[in-house]
Amino acid sequence: MRFDQVWFRYGRRQQWTLRAVDATVEPGHTVVVLGRNGAGKSTLLQLAAGVLRPVRGAVHGRPAVVGWVPERFPADQPFTAEQYLRRMAEIRGLSDFAVVDRWIERLLLTEHAGTRLADLSKGTAQKVGLAQALLVPPGLLVLDEPWEGLDAVARTLIPQIVAEVTAAGGMVLVSDHRGEITGLPDAIHWTVAESAVDAAQAPPAHPADEVIVEVAVRRADADRAVAGLRAAGHRVLGVRATAGNTAASWPPATGYAEDGPR
Amino acid sequence: MSALIRMRLAGFVRSGRALPPFIAVLVELGVIHGGGASPAGVAYGYSAAVLFPVLAWQTKLLLDTEPDVQRRLVRTAVGVRREAVAGVLAAAFLALLVCLLAMLTPWLLGAIDTTRSPLTGTVLGGLAHLLALLPALAVGALAGRAITRNIRNGVTVLVAAGVLVIVLGLRGSVAPWLVPPVMAMARALNDHAVPPAGTIGLLAAWTAAWCAAAFTGYARLRRERA
Repeated sequence: MRFDQVWFRYGRRQQWTLRAVDATVEPGHTVVVLGRNGAGKSTLLQLAAGVLRPVRGAVHGRPAVVGWVPERFPADQPFTAEQYLRRMAEIRGLSDFAVVDRWIERLLLTEHAGTRLADLSKGTAQKVGLAQALLVPPGLLVLDEPWEGLDAVARTLIPQIVAEVTAAGGMVLVSDHRGEITGLPDAIHWTVAESAVDAAQAPPAHPADEVIVEVAVRRADADRAVAGLRAAGHRVLGVRATAGNTAASWPPATGYAEDGPR
Repeated sequence: MSALIRMRLAGFVRSGRALPPFIAVLVELGVIHGGGASPAGVAYGYSAAVLFPVLAWQTKLLLDTEPDVQRRLVRTAVGVRREAVAGVLAAAFLALLVCLLAMLTPWLLGAIDTTRSPLTGTVLGGLAHLLALLPALAVGALAGRAITRNIRNGVTVLVAAGVLVIVLGLRGSVAPWLVPPVMAMARALNDHAVPPAGTIGLLAAWTAAWCAAAFTGYARLRRERA
């Protein structure tokens, strides 16, 4: 997917939010969009997702299936979480709701499935927003500050999901201003500043002496364990169940899709 | 497409926003048909003209029920065109139900003079409601938040359209072609003689041309405005 001299502003009398953006995302790659508040990260992501149209220029090669997770999920709707996801699945052309049930289970939404969207906490509503973007395997997944409001366990799911989408040949664009990108070690970095996008930044190198330590904890203690490991300066790569569903279906029941935890 | 239409209708009804225009419809029909029997054409001609602003308002309310971000989510799922068309079709379905109610109500209230053959008047009355419904959909869509962006602009479009349809639709108007011929249709049915087919054809063609221009503008604005 390629941004070709993309210019964007929200009104004719307003200043350009983005000027002459040239950038390319290759299939199977993750891009983390960095920048201060108001720099234009969300605008760039919405242009990528096709939610906004460039005022000048064009975005070429956008995949047919796009999953967009907005920064704030629109919870002011008279549906429960499950009703909402089922209706979004129908809109996406799905008639089998098993995929809805799988995402509800995987994102730990089971006990909130019957709760009205307006009554959900911010983090839980954000998970519903994440689920709707993943009902059909996306060729492009656009995540706008996906970590906002999520608890520690749910935060570790984001890198897993990103890895699954890229392993299937999809592209992922993620914005971040909270320094959560350590969970996406292979991502390319784009920086938005002064209405321009610096898209030439390679992923940072990992320390050469890193090793993977697999740790099993009780499910109830997972949140605390992840927070503790992060606080100690370690990179938490993922959280997965130790047994259970092994069916090859979307979404994968646990962990990474193909290459396994690294 | 049908799943999106059903979701929008369900959202409109469950949110309670469907109630105010429905009450307005009931009050209007009660006032129009509560005063005694009149020829079918006359009764339906008034009913169609009076329902025009309510149908436009109902359309705007339905299209505005969905939060802006949800509308964008739907856009990523089904594309710009289908998202916009599904909204108008959901509003059209609801407006047709209202028109059906408007066609049945005078019979339930005994407001149709059955001593004169009511069949022709009823058929023309159905046409009058259709000729009010289509431009009402266009006006309601153009007043929707996706186009007007805020409540003040939306209400301005709605009120201006409602007033102009009456003012420019009066006999001797300087620019009657600027608005859909809702008033002209009511006048044509108010004459006790059956209006000539040429008049009805002209009014139908006028409405079709006006709606084509309005919906073309709507489609263009929806494509340009996120």
